[in-house]
Amino acid sequence: MRLICLKRSIAPRAWLQARSFSSPAVQEDDEYTASPQYPPILDLSYKKKLDRSFEKNRTEIRNVKTVEEKQLKLNMPRYYGFKTFMFHEDHIPYNCLPIAQHITKTHLIQDKELPAYYQNVSAENLETIAKDIEEAVLMEVEGIRKSYELREENLEDHDKANLHASAIVKSLSRILNNSLAHQYPHIADSQVDIEPRLEAAWRVGGMVPPNEVKRVRAGHHFFKQFENDPIDRVIGYMGAPILTLRSQLPLPCIISASEAENPALEVPFFKYDPRVIGIPVEYRHAANIPGFWPGDSHTFGLISFLKTGHLKKRSVVYPGEENVTEALNVQGVLASYGWLHSQANYLGFTTLNDLTYPLVTQTVLTNGQDFKFFTYQLNTLLMHGNHTTENPKRNVCWTTDNVKLYAEINDGKIVGLNEDVLKMLLQFYGNAPAERLGINMRPYLSQEEKIIADYEDDDKRQWLEREYKYIMTNRPRLQPIDEIYAWEKIYKIDHKTRPMDKRLRFFELFKKPWTKRLDERPARYIPKACRPDLPKYKGRMAKEYWP
Amino acid sequence: MSTRWYPLYQRGGPQLRVFLPNFWMKLVRPTGEHPPNLVQFSCSMEMTKFDIKSYLEKIYNVKTVEVRTRIALGKTRRDPGKGYVVKADDIKYAYVTLEKGESFEFPDLFPGADEKMDEYEKTLKASKEGFTKYVEKNKQRPGMPGWFSI
Repeated sequence: MRLICLKRSIAPRAWLQARSFSSPAVQEDDEYTASPQYPPILDLSYKKKLDRSFEKNRTEIRNVKTVEEKQLKLNMPRYYGFKTFMFHEDHIPYNCLPIAQHITKTHLIQDKELPAYYQNVSAENLETIAKDIEEAVLMEVEGIRKSYELREENLEDHDKANLHASAIVKSLSRILNNSLAHQYPHIADSQVDIEPRLEAAWRVGGMVPPNEVKRVRAGHHFFKQFENDPIDRVIGYMGAPILTLRSQLPLPCIISASEAENPALEVPFFKYDPRVIGIPVEYRHAANIPGFWPGDSHTFGLISFLKTGHLKKRSVVYPGEENVTEALNVQGVLASYGWLHSQANYLGFTTLNDLTYPLVTQTVLTNGQDFKFFTYQLNTLLMHGNHTTENPKRNVCWTTDNVKLYAEINDGKIVGLNEDVLKMLLQFYGNAPAERLGINMRPYLSQEEKIIADYEDDDKRQWLEREYKYIMTNRPRLQPIDEIYAWEKIYKIDHKTRPMDKRLRFFELFKKPWTKRLDERPARYIPKACRPDLPKYKGRMAKEYWP
Repeated sequence: MSTRWYPLYQRGGPQLRVFLPNFWMKLVRPTGEHPPNLVQFSCSMEMTKFDIKSYLEKIYNVKTVEVRTRIALGKTRRDPGKGYVVKADDIKYAYVTLEKGESFEFPDLFPGADEKMDEYEKTLKASKEGFTKYVEKNKQRPGMPGWFSI
């Protein structure tokens, strides 16, 4: 045996290699050009290298063909989900407006009326519709009140307000749709979703690093210089609209793209960790769902109606008119941004690849009696890293005061019906979406395959569909992430009191389970009976199609 | 009932006693960057959020908007002689939000202490450097006294 090894080692390998690399003289001419061509000289500083790797990641995501694959690719770095700061529609902490504006890069304009743009939108048939609405409101208010009184349910005030809001909004929508459908083709063509699922997730920079990160940085001789550099946070939004209206075409812009870069549109900068105002943290996959699945023909939002019953609970803790207005503004800004952000994701843009044209939506906040109107123009999605300060574009939100639809209900009659509210509502419905001429609406999606349903390969399509839906459900993993038990932290990590124990745990093997990537898992096992006629060791694992 | 353990009264013990309250709050320097209207306290473990709120409002007349609490695990250390692990007590921290316009800055308790520390560190560094120089100089002449030089 040894002899054979020796013989092999003596074999003249170098000579063989030299022969195999010899090439004909013709090719040698092509190797030279008249002027020398050098590769670009790259800045090798840490920051620049980091920028280049981010840029590479952005380009990779931009080049992914379909909407669903882009979402999978966004979630690729974390198998167990990102550490996400969660904003829920019905949980608004105290003094939340600055952070809401910072994470959405929104300039807020509050006025008594809708923006000047709506002067061109007519509100005809106001009188005839007003009568129908008056009747419907009376019926719903009475009907809902009786429903819980007869059932003797002890509902809280906020639950009652939400019930009223939902019932009234649904009948308002029915009346307006029926009476305006013959007048406006976009209403006839629109789609209505009742209580759709609304989720959005995006990256925001500019906030100070948490203490743990600072400690790690301070302890390293190189990273000490970056100790106080801000780090990105993943922000999650969970909405619960009562009803949304969608159309095939986008709403026209309120302001032009150049106006959106006006530095006079100020956005407050919130530099602290979001936990200081009581924002909860969860580990979640980044899900962007605007209430429908990719492939729907009606991808552009027209109006969404939100309920404000939670304010009944909130105003007990934080009383005062000012706090109520602030909470309403926060709810309107976050819901409008969240909806538009997830719509933009279905058009092929992501939190890393910016919009190429603005998107507009309209939002109505109500508890059945008070109405507040928001118009939101989404100009940019870039808020991570340096874009927090360097991106000149900002999103703009116009809002009205909180106004009452009617003063009270007396003896089964509505007193003081406010026609201004109805007019604004009619103007929202009358605002017709229009085609954006000369603009490629989906520049970052492939020409042939825009969604995974366009793939002809059955196996690939089904695999991607299953993975996409699973990630978007945000269910916890079957096998939860490894944890360090308290006794291990004390007796194994902090104080090494057990030198004779077998080193089998992940922290003893220098493993970091939280950095596991989405594709770092075995593929599905195919039972032998289902395998094609292959050798025993082949075809055990199903094929995977990670983007 | 008090949570403190006072010595039992016996004949001859002091007649006048001071009984301390169970509830106490200590203003602490914040560990991270906070907005100006957020104040951090450490407080007794028995205090609830409502207790903290009423403590500040009734005793110090400080209006609070929101109180959040957490219990920090006490630090563990090895006993220097025996080597067993000892754990310090847990601490309850309260994060109190004041109204929007209010601001609180943790006071500089020892003005001028930083400058003194800097000065001390500077002299320490200078003497350390002097010693390394001396060692470097005498490296090649072992056994020679330090003062024997040109």
